Amino acid sequence: MLRKKPFTRIVVFVVIAMALIWTLVPLAWILLSSFKFEADQFSMPPKWVPARITFQNYAKFFGNSEFVRSLINSVMITFFSTVIALLLGVPAAYALARFDWKHANTIAFVVLLARMTPPIVMVLPFFMIARYLGISNTYLPIVLALSFFSVPFAIWMMRGFFQEIPNSLEEAAMIDGCTRFQSLRRVVLPLVMPGLSATSILCALIAWNEFLFALVLTGRDTRPLPVLVNMFVSERNIEWGVMSAAAIITVLPMIVFGLLVQNDLVRGLTMGSSK
Amino acid sequence: MVGDQMKSRRRSRGYWYILPSMVFIVIIFMIPLTYTIVMSFLRWNLLRPDLGIRAAGFSNYVRLFTDPFTLDTVGRTFYFVLGAVLIELIAGLCIALALDTEFKGWKIVQSVLLVPFMIAPVVVGYVWRFVLNSDYGPIIHILRQLGLGGLVEKPLLSNPSAAMPVLIVADAWEYIPFVTLVLLAGLKSIPYEPYEAAFVDGASSLQRFHYITLPLLRPSILVAVVIRTLTSLRVFDIVFIMTGGGPGTATETLAFYGYRTAFQAYNVGFSSAINMLTFAIAVFFTILYMKIIGGGKNYA
Repeated sequence: MLRKKPFTRIVVFVVIAMALIWTLVPLAWILLSSFKFEADQFSMPPKWVPARITFQNYAKFFGNSEFVRSLINSVMITFFSTVIALLLGVPAAYALARFDWKHANTIAFVVLLARMTPPIVMVLPFFMIARYLGISNTYLPIVLALSFFSVPFAIWMMRGFFQEIPNSLEEAAMIDGCTRFQSLRRVVLPLVMPGLSATSILCALIAWNEFLFALVLTGRDTRPLPVLVNMFVSERNIEWGVMSAAAIITVLPMIVFGLLVQNDLVRGLTMGSSK
Repeated sequence: MVGDQMKSRRRSRGYWYILPSMVFIVIIFMIPLTYTIVMSFLRWNLLRPDLGIRAAGFSNYVRLFTDPFTLDTVGRTFYFVLGAVLIELIAGLCIALALDTEFKGWKIVQSVLLVPFMIAPVVVGYVWRFVLNSDYGPIIHILRQLGLGGLVEKPLLSNPSAAMPVLIVADAWEYIPFVTLVLLAGLKSIPYEPYEAAFVDGASSLQRFHYITLPLLRPSILVAVVIRTLTSLRVFDIVFIMTGGGPGTATETLAFYGYRTAFQAYNVGFSSAINMLTFAIAVFFTILYMKIIGGGKNYA
């Protein structure tokens, strides 16, 4: 911004250095641990870079059918809940952005409230209903429960993106003979593509990382990665190497996707209050 | 006339875009919520089917509001919320200000600093349990070498007065990036002119910060604080994985109390009453948030 004095530069440097250390130390430790032999996990003093590295922790993860099952479950649950969020959320966001609504405030409040409700309030009734309907060991309860968060989220986020597209573009398309649906598909959707991909990735992030619903609403065959991580941490003797590999596998896809959309993150996370 | 007709026709089309999602939200939201409200007025223990399900009147709520443990739990929850939000705000503000100077490579630094935010809270809990492990955790080792071994003589997570601060540290690690992002976006939207004017008038950088940056950043700070308050009120994952509410009940928050009552004591009636209290607090802050961002009409 303004011309930088040497003092300012030093302060900035110190703050950034501290922030980087604070962020990277725990991450580096887990990453390095995932390449250590089990015996090296407990060396005293702790060794950051082990003398020998191994991929056996990753091999163990992928050799364990229960782990692989969880990975597949995570993918399935995330995929289905994100698809539901987009299918239901995108048209609603479009309508909210394009038409005047008498009850816009009420709709906005319900949507926001649904997003802000603590999961603990919903999880017990979900559990009871799933048990009553006998669908406890399917993807249905967890996918519906996660959609409960991601549908309002998709509506709120996409609405902002639709509002940025000038109405005149669509009117022009309709004068040229497009129906509203055609103008939506051919004119508006291509323009909101960046917003759409950011929204889907954030919906996926919500579903992939969610724990409480997954803990209560999934069983042996449907449990996703976070629940698996928890199961092994609660045991007396944690296999830190395999666990660290599992942790890395759990977080890697979301880090990659998340960084792709980081510019649109703020908007999504503040529910459109800042751009 | 014609215009009105057009508009109403358009709107009736609009209903078909909006109806499915509203039906979905109302069903998935209202049915469980009603269920919780009904359960909160029942005496219902899943482990004692012989007792059956009986109407309890307000007895669950009477118990909730007369039991001193409730107040303690609310207190612990707000201890966590206040600690976490305060640390995240201060650290987030410092980092955002530093990034805003747009030094060489700031974009890469921003990406790196953002990483913890993408990590599942369960994994965050695991990571911090590992690095703070009293036998072979690297951070404990570093603290000992720095001569701070006295602080960590007892394993941190089984020390009643240290467990909650440790949870706050883990939570801050995950959410400082979020606050940083929100504040950085706020900083970037501050126009250049006031700074120029202040500079011409000979204001010091501290004065510029105090009289220009802070007031203009206020909306972003409020947004960050309220959202973080709302999302940290529900804290469950890291409590579950790091302390299980312990030692004793030293880290038992509202969400964890509700969970334990339902899924360990199987008292679903009382658990529902606890969860309604949590819900009421969340509703209060949601309304506050709506007020801050100026109602639904111009929220985007």
